[in-house]
Amino acid sequence: MSLLADLASRRFLVVTGKGGVGKSVVSATLGRIASGEGRHTLLLEVDPRENLHELLGVAPSGGEVVTAGPALRLQNLQPRQVLEQVVRDHLRIEWLSKRVVASPVFEHFVDAAPGLKELAILGHAYRVLTGKARRQSADLVILDAPATGHGLSMLTAPQVVSDVIKEGPFGHMAGELAAFIGNAAETGVVVVTQAEEMPVQEGLELAQRMQLSLGRWPELLVVNGLYPPVRDRRGSPDSELTRLWHTRRAINERELGRLGALWRGPRVELPFVPIDRGPALPTALAPVLRHALAEAEVLV
Amino acid sequence: MTPLLDHSLVVVVGSGGVGKTTLAAALALEAARQGGDTLVMTFDPSMRLKDTLGVGERARDREVEIRTGTRGRMWASLLDARATFDRLVRRYAPDDEAATRILTNRLYAHLSGTLAGVLEYMAVERLFEVASDGRYDCVVLDTPPTRQALDFLEAPDRIIGFLDSGALRIALKPWFDREGHLRGASRFGPVGRSVEHFFDRVVGLSLLRDMAEFFQAFGPLYAGFRERATEVAALLRASRTVFVLVTRAEEERIPETLFFARRLVESGHRLGPLVVNMRHPEPARDRARGTVSPDDGDQLMAWLGARDRRGLDRLRARMATHPVIDLPLLAEEPTGLSSLDHLRAILAERLPS
Repeated sequence: MSLLADLASRRFLVVTGKGGVGKSVVSATLGRIASGEGRHTLLLEVDPRENLHELLGVAPSGGEVVTAGPALRLQNLQPRQVLEQVVRDHLRIEWLSKRVVASPVFEHFVDAAPGLKELAILGHAYRVLTGKARRQSADLVILDAPATGHGLSMLTAPQVVSDVIKEGPFGHMAGELAAFIGNAAETGVVVVTQAEEMPVQEGLELAQRMQLSLGRWPELLVVNGLYPPVRDRRGSPDSELTRLWHTRRAINERELGRLGALWRGPRVELPFVPIDRGPALPTALAPVLRHALAEAEVLV
Repeated sequence: MTPLLDHSLVVVVGSGGVGKTTLAAALALEAARQGGDTLVMTFDPSMRLKDTLGVGERARDREVEIRTGTRGRMWASLLDARATFDRLVRRYAPDDEAATRILTNRLYAHLSGTLAGVLEYMAVERLFEVASDGRYDCVVLDTPPTRQALDFLEAPDRIIGFLDSGALRIALKPWFDREGHLRGASRFGPVGRSVEHFFDRVVGLSLLRDMAEFFQAFGPLYAGFRERATEVAALLRASRTVFVLVTRAEEERIPETLFFARRLVESGHRLGPLVVNMRHPEPARDRARGTVSPDDGDQLMAWLGARDRRGLDRLRARMATHPVIDLPLLAEEPTGLSSLDHLRAILAERLPS
């Protein structure tokens, strides 16, 4: 089976990686590919500093669902927002909900309770996929997750919480989400990296920790921003820029070699393209990534 | 010569992936070269500094001297949030039993990692420890990679806010009796009752019980924590403290950089030079002509050089007279003292005098 078909069979993709490697660009590109095949896709962003809308050419979400294409939607979601909705749903009395939500106890509880924020986001994705969310549904949710460390906490939060809390609706929800994340047929973890020492190191550490906590290796590694190959290495380049390119490409190749030896799952590569950050970037990368995914086979 | 030594504390801030850690090490090396005994502390979880300075795991959570051959001596320390937190608990707990109660609380492991701003706060706590013993002429602090660079700055105030909030007073009340049953909450009025009822229904009592236990075990520590947080907030605003804001030249980073620079100054902190790191050099003007179809790589590099130039110009224009230093993208990230010294030399040359 090709990687493209494998990813198409999943309902939830979590995109993570070290800060600054292009997680949002890859999320937006995956969103373009999936919605282009007719799957109703929701791109979920959790960074309060919105930036996915710029890559899709739409207005910032501010918590609302924004249409970014025939089958593509974007939502920037803050955990606080989800939890306030939970309060409203449970208390059902408007003035009382308002007072609860405004109380410092609520605020600090949200801040301090382990895993609560992560669960709120995952719970929202799960409800959207299972048709339990109000006025919202999707065939596929792509989560543009926080950077590596926090991204992994996002994935392990349901398990951690359900280990601590076994009773009550909270414990029940955590258990359900842990099963959903743990199900490799439904949830796919996409790690984005650049072929440079630190991002590769972090990517490998994330994969190893995921292997320990979820019992599996990430479903896909996207190596982003590769400098073009050097065709002719004879002689010494006469300009500083060309030398910089050659050295950077050599680093890319060294790190690709390291990934080749240590990455135990499928991976695809994306070139560094000279396009300013904006809607044109995912549009240009979508056919490249789609082709790479269609060519690559899932390792069995 | 830059009066780097005029500052006893240099705080390096910026969002992830801009090269804060390496830059902090280079700044420290320069301070040592100028003759000051200098300590560089980093929170980088990947422990990058360890490799750059060759200090190894032994620098984890303690100061290790680096043989730099400079006039001033240089030390490095790799911060560990959990270890700092554990040490504080042991120091401020009234007795061993109280310390053990906290350290073995099953929520402690999660809370010490997830409680808002703990990592950032631990950086300042640790900073306070070393700053107050006065052994160093200069301390360079590399701040934790935060999604928003402001998190670090606000950590002490946030901790004070949390300690002073009603939430804590409520958490410290005896919510549970000896049997672990919830005590009647009627005395907190209808809001108290509904909040508690809601938590009970949604979260379950066991989590609440653990949280209450955690906060109660922590009770005796609050006064010490609060006092420290206040002093740390003052230290960050002291006249001999300077913030070095690091960014990259891409245009999309400009709004965030300007925002942070403004917030720093507005909140009473001293903003030092703004460093635009990892800039791609510009193509030489005479080169493109006469070249037979440049390679893809050359085209890409020319585009990157032009892009970074544009971003840098815009940032400079917006910062008016405030010093903005640009540093080139190095072919290889510094991996040892000699390559770090190369970056230090470029930095020293460009620092405003």
